[in-house]
Amino acid sequence: MRLIITLVLSFSTAAQTPFTPPRTVDGKPDLQGVWETRNAASFDVSEVAEGREIPYLPQALEREQKGGRVDPIAHCGMPGIPRLTYMPFPFQIVQRPGVVVFLYEYLHNQRIVTTNPRPHLEGIDFWLGDSVGHWEGDTLVVDVTDLGDKTWLDAARHTHTDALHVVERYTRTGPNTIKYEATIEDPKTYARPWRIAMPLHRNNQPGFELREQECTEGDDGRAIHPQYRPAPQGDPLEFVRSYPAAKGGSK
Amino acid sequence: MRAVSLGMIVAAACLAQAPKPYAPPRTSDGVPDIEGYWQPRNNGAMYSVLPHPGGFFLGAESKEGVVDGGVLPYQPWAAAKVKELTQHMELDPTGHCHYEGIPHAMYFGFQIYETSKYIALLHENMHAWRIVYMDGSPHPKDYSAWMGDSRGHWEGNTLVVDVANNNDKSVFDMAGHFHSDALHVVERFTPVDHDTINYEATIDDAKVFTRPWKMHFALRRAAADYQFLESGCFEGERDQEHLVEGLATLPPDHYKQ
Repeated sequence: MRLIITLVLSFSTAAQTPFTPPRTVDGKPDLQGVWETRNAASFDVSEVAEGREIPYLPQALEREQKGGRVDPIAHCGMPGIPRLTYMPFPFQIVQRPGVVVFLYEYLHNQRIVTTNPRPHLEGIDFWLGDSVGHWEGDTLVVDVTDLGDKTWLDAARHTHTDALHVVERYTRTGPNTIKYEATIEDPKTYARPWRIAMPLHRNNQPGFELREQECTEGDDGRAIHPQYRPAPQGDPLEFVRSYPAAKGGSK
Repeated sequence: MRAVSLGMIVAAACLAQAPKPYAPPRTSDGVPDIEGYWQPRNNGAMYSVLPHPGGFFLGAESKEGVVDGGVLPYQPWAAAKVKELTQHMELDPTGHCHYEGIPHAMYFGFQIYETSKYIALLHENMHAWRIVYMDGSPHPKDYSAWMGDSRGHWEGNTLVVDVANNNDKSVFDMAGHFHSDALHVVERFTPVDHDTINYEATIDDAKVFTRPWKMHFALRRAAADYQFLESGCFEGERDQEHLVEGLATLPPDHYKQ
């Protein structure tokens, strides 16, 4: 009984004090491991948007209505940032001094994020943009520019222009969780910057390793990849519960 | 006589220098540190691993190729299939933006990151990557992949990577050289100086070849300010038909097996 009380007390204490993350050899928070989201944001990103609202400009909505209706990932295009994070596939973070490397199972994407500041590249667009990182306390902040206008934020046709600017924040919140936040800015599309947030969960399955996920135009990998892995199991509504407004029961 | 003298002088100079094997720096785990951006010397292997002429179809000329001995020991049926494949460049999977596979991916620049448990290789081309597990774990069962499955260990200063679980879809080059799902590749990365790794791959595929064969080439450390750019490929590739058209304009003996 005493043990149970002690445990309850220690849990409640843990909830109040910020998690102290383990460190890498160069003293930075250790983000390494295999992580995955367990939500449906890649189908409709408004589900993880603060206030569940995307502040569209009227002309952007009109543009969207006239635009293409086929999700670009159906043609094996890279999903862009931030969508790549919440595709329903795990990804692995590798850290070395001065660099954080993201290896995504989905369409074998990769990002090499330097944490030594450098200017963004100019005059060029990438599917995944140009990522420059730095540490703010225990949070990895990744500034992403040079994004093109070909990607969508989700399968629900939430679009953007090449003025898109994304600032991602990765903060360890527990032994098996990272808080992922992204501020999304595009003055040609949105009336103001808006924010999404979701937990990243460590994949703790023993012996779990990322597998190859390949895509040919017109399919999502199933046709040629016998080990096609369906969306990870988990609580699909966890992101809803993560917002204070949701906890209060009102929208 | 003069040539002999020169040769003797060179030999003597080499002996006098008593070349010591290169001792690469060590990581905090005590293994050779070969981190960095590496690029193969321009060797034309992406066009053909064998010696080949230059030109539209086979790119830059290569007098040497990268295959030891300059011959691929195909079984007769496989040699016939190579000839057929050279007439159907539209089937080349890399033209459809697929993974190159191993060793094909090694003809392009890549970056090495070393950790205690694994070594990550990020290939710039096709934004491919692989994780070379260094913990002695076995290859997975019932798994096949374009890039196979890589498990490695150190033999002295040499990183040895065993690549199994290969599918039968990737190819060795653009010249129709192919393999089956019995492909097994053993790669050896040997640093020979600060800026050079000798890369060697032993290729075994009992369904296609009569014996294992080897390829080798040098990898050079890229300039310090070298930066990966995104290699996106799935953008409506439409060159396959041009390859076929180009092929029709070549003289019949342009490509020699």
